[in-house]
Amino acid sequence: MGLPNASGDLSTEVELDAFRRLFPLRFFEKHLLESIRPDARPLGRARDTTLSLGAVASANGSANAKIGSTTMLAAIKMEVMTPSLETPDEGCIAIDFHMPPIVRPGRPAEAAPVVAKQLSDTILSSGMINLKELSLVSGKAAWMAYLDIYCLYADGALFDAALLAAVAAFSYLEIPVVSLNDDGKIVLSEEQGLSDREPVNKEKRKVNLGSIPFSLTCILHKNYILADPTAEEESIMETSVTVVLDSSSQLVSLYKPGGPVLAYTSAIQDCIALTRQRVMELQMILEEAISGMEVD
Amino acid sequence: MAAKPGSAPTTYSPNLGQKTRPPIFKDNDLDWVRPDGRGFHQCRPAFFRTGAVNSASGSAYAELGNTKVIVSVFGPRESKKAMMYSDTGRLNCNVSYTTFGTPVRGQGSDHKEFSSMLHKALEGAIMLESFPKTTVDVFALVLESGGSDLPVVISCASLALADAGIMMYDLVAAVSVACLGKNLVIDPILEEESYQDGSLMLTCMPSRYEVTQLTFTGEWPTPDINEAMQLCLDACNKLGKVMRTCLKEAASASQE
Repeated sequence: MGLPNASGDLSTEVELDAFRRLFPLRFFEKHLLESIRPDARPLGRARDTTLSLGAVASANGSANAKIGSTTMLAAIKMEVMTPSLETPDEGCIAIDFHMPPIVRPGRPAEAAPVVAKQLSDTILSSGMINLKELSLVSGKAAWMAYLDIYCLYADGALFDAALLAAVAAFSYLEIPVVSLNDDGKIVLSEEQGLSDREPVNKEKRKVNLGSIPFSLTCILHKNYILADPTAEEESIMETSVTVVLDSSSQLVSLYKPGGPVLAYTSAIQDCIALTRQRVMELQMILEEAISGMEVD
Repeated sequence: MAAKPGSAPTTYSPNLGQKTRPPIFKDNDLDWVRPDGRGFHQCRPAFFRTGAVNSASGSAYAELGNTKVIVSVFGPRESKKAMMYSDTGRLNCNVSYTTFGTPVRGQGSDHKEFSSMLHKALEGAIMLESFPKTTVDVFALVLESGGSDLPVVISCASLALADAGIMMYDLVAAVSVACLGKNLVIDPILEEESYQDGSLMLTCMPSRYEVTQLTFTGEWPTPDINEAMQLCLDACNKLGKVMRTCLKEAASASQE
């Protein structure tokens, strides 16, 4: 069939766009041969990442993470619950991921519950938050932290951006000072100690974070490994590997959901090496964002 | 084991005790200062930006004080519901809140009527005959609720529709006024809305001087109704100019 001069005569804009849409895989492979991607990134580089904290004033902690164009807004609201009998000293975290209709109209996206479960498992098993810190009165009251992450723009690497936003929201979390009132309920404490009730958690305004997890999603295609895919790349080349490392470079989770490409050990090790670099970048970005907020 | 699936423990928010209504809203106490220092007839500074979401046909982000709204428009596109032939297009609106947008978690579901109110506010302004047999979807997400949510959603939605290139008779601007005792306060914040005796929301097309939607609630003495409507119309005019400037900037920025 008549290919528009497949040897690369893509001089006019119109032909380039048409080629990109009609033969997406060939379009990408032409770039991969030169070790570059259509947005001029080298294969192993992630997109520009920005983080801004405290975007939502009505929440106890919030963060807005952008990886390239993918934008996630995470916010934490603290409510009080009665701890269960088996764990009277522990609070609880409820994590939920939403893809609101502004991003994808019609049926809810298939990716949303998958990412929600991945996030939930990763955050809870990474040991970032010690649930005992969320306890208020042993056996009677503990914090339930509702973490909600909304995707405002989906352009690939949803899990990475969501995890970054979640972690940043936790690091910027401010727990309100509360005290126990006479009915046995927890209420917000007045500021100047007007009430005669002792605040239950005067010292615990911030949560101490243990090892913070960071992640990187890579796409495997033939012999190439592409870090931080865009939505276009994800839809064309379907094998993705997500590696989550914590700040001490220990492996928290490895996720490879099927796909046409089988990953040999060497490929996995390359992915882990790329993730290790990314962890250092992300740590710096997170620290800069936090210290930026402290300069009041 | 921390997130026990299936057993959702009941939680409550540690709110401060009942806020007693400040006793100054009786007679004409004009010394009261609004919590954010504005005058009674002063709206919050408005920030609009179009083109926030590229995957949609058009989108806009609006921020007035603490109220932050993002609206996406998809279409005109075919939909199963519009399979029957009709001369006019369909408009489908949906307003949803984030769970953390309200001071108490989950209060956003109290505002289910906003979707149909948004529909009524916009349908008068859109030229539905210009896209027969197809549907235009307008989705609004309130990221943070800081008072006067629906007027901000309506203004932002009309900007998103303009960004999507949907033909309209005019931009739609909306403003609300709260009646606190004898005082008329424009563009109330959440705290003022909780004390109000009555509220008026007016949605109009500023250049045509036509009102698309008018909603009164509560008690209103007759002379105040006229004053409030005039206040709203003036404010809508100014808001319309701000929205127009935003669109012009976006258009000239894309031309460069």
